[in-house]
Amino acid sequence: MKFVCQHIGLSIVIDDKLVDQLCRLGSDHYPKEYGGLLVGRYVNNNKEVIIEETVLPKKFKSSAFSFERGVEGLRKTLGDLSRRNPSLIYVGEWHTHPDGRPVPSGTDSSALRTIAEHKDVFIKNPLLLIIGLSNTGYELGFYVLYKNEIHSYELEYNQQHKTEINLIEKTYGGK
Amino acid sequence: MATDKNKHLEEVLTSHKISKEQALLDKHIDKRKEISEALQEKYGSDLYSPFNSGSYAKHTAMNKKFDIDLIAPYKRNAFETLEKMYSSVYDFLYDKYKNEATVKKQKVSIGLEFNTDADGDIVKVDVVPGRELNKDQYPDDNNLNLYVYEQFGKIDKGSDRIKSNIKSQIENVKGHAEKDSVRQIIRLLKVWKFYNGKKPKSFFLELITIKAFDKKTISGDIWDKLKAVMEFIRDEVKSVSLPDPGNSSNDIADTLTDSDKDTLSYDMKRMIERIEEDSDTIKSYYPINEKFPPEDEQKSNNSYGVKTGIGLSVPPVTRFG
Repeated sequence: MKFVCQHIGLSIVIDDKLVDQLCRLGSDHYPKEYGGLLVGRYVNNNKEVIIEETVLPKKFKSSAFSFERGVEGLRKTLGDLSRRNPSLIYVGEWHTHPDGRPVPSGTDSSALRTIAEHKDVFIKNPLLLIIGLSNTGYELGFYVLYKNEIHSYELEYNQQHKTEINLIEKTYGGK
Repeated sequence: MATDKNKHLEEVLTSHKISKEQALLDKHIDKRKEISEALQEKYGSDLYSPFNSGSYAKHTAMNKKFDIDLIAPYKRNAFETLEKMYSSVYDFLYDKYKNEATVKKQKVSIGLEFNTDADGDIVKVDVVPGRELNKDQYPDDNNLNLYVYEQFGKIDKGSDRIKSNIKSQIENVKGHAEKDSVRQIIRLLKVWKFYNGKKPKSFFLELITIKAFDKKTISGDIWDKLKAVMEFIRDEVKSVSLPDPGNSSNDIADTLTDSDKDTLSYDMKRMIERIEEDSDTIKSYYPINEKFPPEDEQKSNNSYGVKTGIGLSVPPVTRFG
């Protein structure tokens, strides 16, 4: 599926299967938060990012209201991904909001800024995917830090109908 | 390729719209409210209700420089002299805000420039103390006397002659028949003044623009109108009188010296010649605010950025909520 940020003219492409995988991972940790890294590649003169995979943290702390991702093993895993053809790089983060809307909290916004400014991060515009999970389904919210402001993406119009049907069909309740 | 002057000027106006900086404007408005309440608490019944003036009230503001003024109208008997009024307000504001702002005496106002806040923003508010001209008449005639703290063009330091119906000044622009065109040209001239470090007070530019619209037939597209006003300034600035709509015995033309007027006339002449010679030069006189470039251009230039120097991105330990 494709998400577009009309305001800044940038887009995100992510495979439905990867979204399914992330939702299942989040659902496995429900009602606590869970998350990981998004890796992918920039295409179309860096106007689009294709998210290809997730990298999961070896260590993390989580509760119903917070998720702290560790760094153990990340350098090696990201190094291996960068040597693939095509090369994959770190492009952002994802985490769940159990029983919450997929909108960034103040902590989420400042986390993106901290990441963008970090000396070991070479991308300027980290993405954030928030998955709002409930026992009846999920909602996705994609965000990017651009020129120090958080911008949201919308599902591309011609895909909305198809995806709405998909979202209705998928439920992750009953844990 | 030649620059489309009209398209460019429209983009200059759009990129300088005050609504683009709404958050910063809100901070200014909040601070002005706080100052107004502090003055009312301090001076009680000696003070009529403070009110907003400046370009925001006249709809001629630009987002590069907010012109947030607070007029503090005092009763006739509140102070023996205008100088005492000015000093009292300065002392009060200095004591109250010295730890969070630079408080300084200006021509007819007291300027407060607050320290940079957590967002990197600076809020500036000018407080203009005025005393009603005749006892208990202010509610009817809106006339105020201001104190002139420092030399102001041809107006002497220490003078207390400026009598100004500031509400009339505000209505002067708001009530003009061609107010939309007048406001556009005023905003453009303020953009020119701001980026080119020019001297005329904004109020001077406002009045001379209105005068040009009143004296000449100004029509056509936006460049035609701007050029017509610039020609008027070039030809008339040395002789024009600009009566203050708040008090016709004040000539705002006196806020510039003869030498300032020569310079302004020359600036206009040179600017018109250069833009007519090479339309691209309009961009240096009237630049687009880079912070808010036209949307199409902005979008087409946007991309996911990569920092200089190639390395493997490894994010730090991060907490989400």
